[in-house]
Amino acid sequence: MSERNSINRREFIHVAAGTAAGLYLGGCSMSRPFADLPAGAMGPAPKGDWPELAQLALSRVKAGGCSYGDIRLLETHNQSVRAEDRRISSVGERFDSGFGIRALYNGAWGFAASADFTPAEVERTAERAVEIARASHILMQSPVKLADEPVHRDRIKTAFKVDPFTVPLEERCNLLLNACEIVHKEKGIIRSNGSLWTQRDIKHFASTEGTVLDFDLLAVGGGFGATAKNEDDFQSREFSVPFIRSGYEHITAADFVSQAPRVAAQAVEKVNSKQPTPGKFDLVLDPAHLSLTIHESCGHPTELDRALGYEANYAGTSFMTPDQLGKLRYGSKHVNLVADNTRQGAMASTGYDDDGVAGQRWAIVEEGVFRGYSTNREVAGSIGENRSRGSCRADSWSSVPIVRIANIGLEPGSETRDSLIADVKDGIYIEGRGSFSIDQKRYNFQFGGDAFWEIKNGKRGAMLKNVIYNGITPEFWNSCDGVADRKHWQEHGFINCGKGQPGQSGWMTHAASDARFRQVNVINPKA
Amino acid sequence: MSVKLASESTFRRIVDTIFSAATAEHTFISFGDGESSTLRFANNQVAQNVSVREPSVSVRVAFGKKVGSASTNRLDTASLTTMVRQAETIARLAPEDPEYLPPLPKQDYMRVPSFRDSTASVSPMELAKRTKPVIDQCARNNLVGAGILSNGVSARGVAASSGLFGYAQSTESEFSLTATAGDSSGWTFNGHRDIDALDIAARTKRAVDKALQSKEPRELPAGHYPVILEPAAVAGVFGPFFFAADAKSYYKGNSPFVGKVGSTVLDSRLTVRTDPTHPDLLGDSFDGSGLSVRPIVWIENGVLKQLYYDRFTAKEHGVEPTPRPSAPVMSFSGPTVGSIDELIAGTKRAVLITNFWYIRSVDPKDLTITGMTRDGTFLVEDGKIVAGVKNFRFHDSPMRCFQQVDAATAPMESITMERGKMMLPAVRLPDFHLSSVTKF
Repeated sequence: MSERNSINRREFIHVAAGTAAGLYLGGCSMSRPFADLPAGAMGPAPKGDWPELAQLALSRVKAGGCSYGDIRLLETHNQSVRAEDRRISSVGERFDSGFGIRALYNGAWGFAASADFTPAEVERTAERAVEIARASHILMQSPVKLADEPVHRDRIKTAFKVDPFTVPLEERCNLLLNACEIVHKEKGIIRSNGSLWTQRDIKHFASTEGTVLDFDLLAVGGGFGATAKNEDDFQSREFSVPFIRSGYEHITAADFVSQAPRVAAQAVEKVNSKQPTPGKFDLVLDPAHLSLTIHESCGHPTELDRALGYEANYAGTSFMTPDQLGKLRYGSKHVNLVADNTRQGAMASTGYDDDGVAGQRWAIVEEGVFRGYSTNREVAGSIGENRSRGSCRADSWSSVPIVRIANIGLEPGSETRDSLIADVKDGIYIEGRGSFSIDQKRYNFQFGGDAFWEIKNGKRGAMLKNVIYNGITPEFWNSCDGVADRKHWQEHGFINCGKGQPGQSGWMTHAASDARFRQVNVINPKA
Repeated sequence: MSVKLASESTFRRIVDTIFSAATAEHTFISFGDGESSTLRFANNQVAQNVSVREPSVSVRVAFGKKVGSASTNRLDTASLTTMVRQAETIARLAPEDPEYLPPLPKQDYMRVPSFRDSTASVSPMELAKRTKPVIDQCARNNLVGAGILSNGVSARGVAASSGLFGYAQSTESEFSLTATAGDSSGWTFNGHRDIDALDIAARTKRAVDKALQSKEPRELPAGHYPVILEPAAVAGVFGPFFFAADAKSYYKGNSPFVGKVGSTVLDSRLTVRTDPTHPDLLGDSFDGSGLSVRPIVWIENGVLKQLYYDRFTAKEHGVEPTPRPSAPVMSFSGPTVGSIDELIAGTKRAVLITNFWYIRSVDPKDLTITGMTRDGTFLVEDGKIVAGVKNFRFHDSPMRCFQQVDAATAPMESITMERGKMMLPAVRLPDFHLSSVTKF
């Protein structure tokens, strides 16, 4: 994830009109099971003339002498409602549509995209993709070879009960205003914020190999927060509903209003709490917190394109190089990290990726040993795998698909949250996500959290604030000596994973149960 | 580029279409169109090569203080009309926003020379040709190069029922290189309106030299060190100031600057201003709300002079609203040295830092931040670079570490993965908190 304070043109438009999507980061304590439709059972029909336009583009790519080409036609509908300090600060609706065409000319890539769906512009864009691939060819050393994938024809639709786009705006505004109002009743609260976000993507994918896929994908998310102040400090507490491929029922079930008094009270308790004396502590980390730890210290280093140097100039490389596969002792025997792009509701569970590869489940770390990567069709062969793991995604029609972290989760163990805490003499329980930073090879990290409680002699005690721990990835995961069971398992979706040039936002879900880590370095950042 | 941008008269037609569809009391329009190409290379060969055309228009309408927004990237009359209807539907249903203000009146915009033909005329094939010598130079030195070369043209417009109208075209180009060799790396990045001003050859040499010089890095213990921060590293540490200097947080109480406006917050020889017409910066003539940009002094001789006032907060406090900070320049009024090399030559012992990465807030109360050094970290002793060193994590605050600047250059071009284009000096600071070490 990264930020730039010079906003680009696309952001400018949305910021200017107050329709920026709510990029909400934070923890939450709920998840739900999903009763989803089987892929292909009741999928959407493609929009109007999209299949014809797709075939027109592919015929131009083939006529240009390309060995492979594909097109994604995409229509995105996004709604966001934001609240700030007892007011609705913005209500926005965004329609965005266009198409992106990839062309592979003698092993070199070209990509061109446009928002104009006329046949003439589709042809111009296809020809531009070919022209760009030919330009790439003069800088090519070794030709791209795509891993084989069966030809697919399928229709995918996210299952949901309540279409968020049909929920009255008044109801959504009131949900946020009520939560803010309750938050401000607590003495010491000076600021509040809230957001609701939903996006629907209708997509048609077609390749020169004959794969044709139609998608109707939905996602929702939201949350609220409170900031408390005393004489010499201010601190915030968040409640966030993790991003999920589901409908508005997920928001309703989160019950903002009944959570609001707790969130406000904890913000005030937090601002008035102590910060820990730096030193080694046993940490018990909740699933929302671990979702970010997994994302940064396991998800990113196991993106194969990074390990191969594709992101050396931006997102970085990886200490988990291919020669370490099957050898690196990444974590203790309690650490099983599994990628699963077939689990319904998870953000990267879209049936197929933007290479047209079917979703899969595979091991990343097995009983502590490094076993696998997230891959796409371009890079899979470089580690001797004959099929892509189906982790190639673009964040819009105008972006080129790149390797993305899969839905990587920590498999449950046999403990409970209470049993993990009971075996800690002097430790800290951390809930939610806070300040996070990690080096470009993903060794040295620091994490904060959203809320902290001291653990003394096996019991959770008073709240703490400003807890920051620092470590080296494999040392940290090797200090894990217990994971809670499936009853504690929660899924947390992300929509703001930054990677690529031009920058793109990735979507995926990280699941975990609470886990315990021994003797982790809690620091004083101002020492 | 292969595309004809939406012209001012095209934008006026879009505006007229929207105004004739609108029934709201106020209508504000924001528009963009552009095409950009990015050639991305890695492992000394092309990795991606993309070209994207992206138009977009958005509207914000209000009935009294009931406000709604919608946006689309389809510019036909039916789509624009639908967008207006959606925004109006939202506005009718939305609760009143007590902070809503009608669109700005007509503004006088200063001329910002933001369009360069040199950039607009470069084709994808030309991008590839200009990239080739960069890759060749990496290969000749047994280094692995990764980076980008990009160019783009864009048009922006704002208009409102109040008579507000602005339209501008601009170009932008970027060049970046990370050269690596096993245990070492060197980095450079520039962005400019004029692709011919990117200084690709000299910057390539600098990144290559850094990669060659940083081989077999030593491990130094974590601790407080004198440091030389190159301009990109200054951007990393100082950048959060621009996020934090907002008046709303100041008055609500969650700002690091509570009680500090008019006080000395930095070394009294440092001045920070924004200069929208600076020829090497990426200034625009108006911000997202259509507000005319103007030169602003934020910190003068170390004293905090100005916060960012959104229109509502400005009105509440009876002051002029401020455009969003863009095109920043930091200058040092003490004696300066001519180059980073001279800064090194005058240093007894310091850690030289090229760039920072993954910078995040740790404590917003005093602007404490963390991040990692990246792609060119060295030990300087007795006026010379003596070794590459393993990368550090830092924890510090710009409001602490810039209390004293021991030496500085004139402002130089700076752009990073996490900060926009600025003009910043390279500086030597006596005390910077390098809090832990990583393994490379």
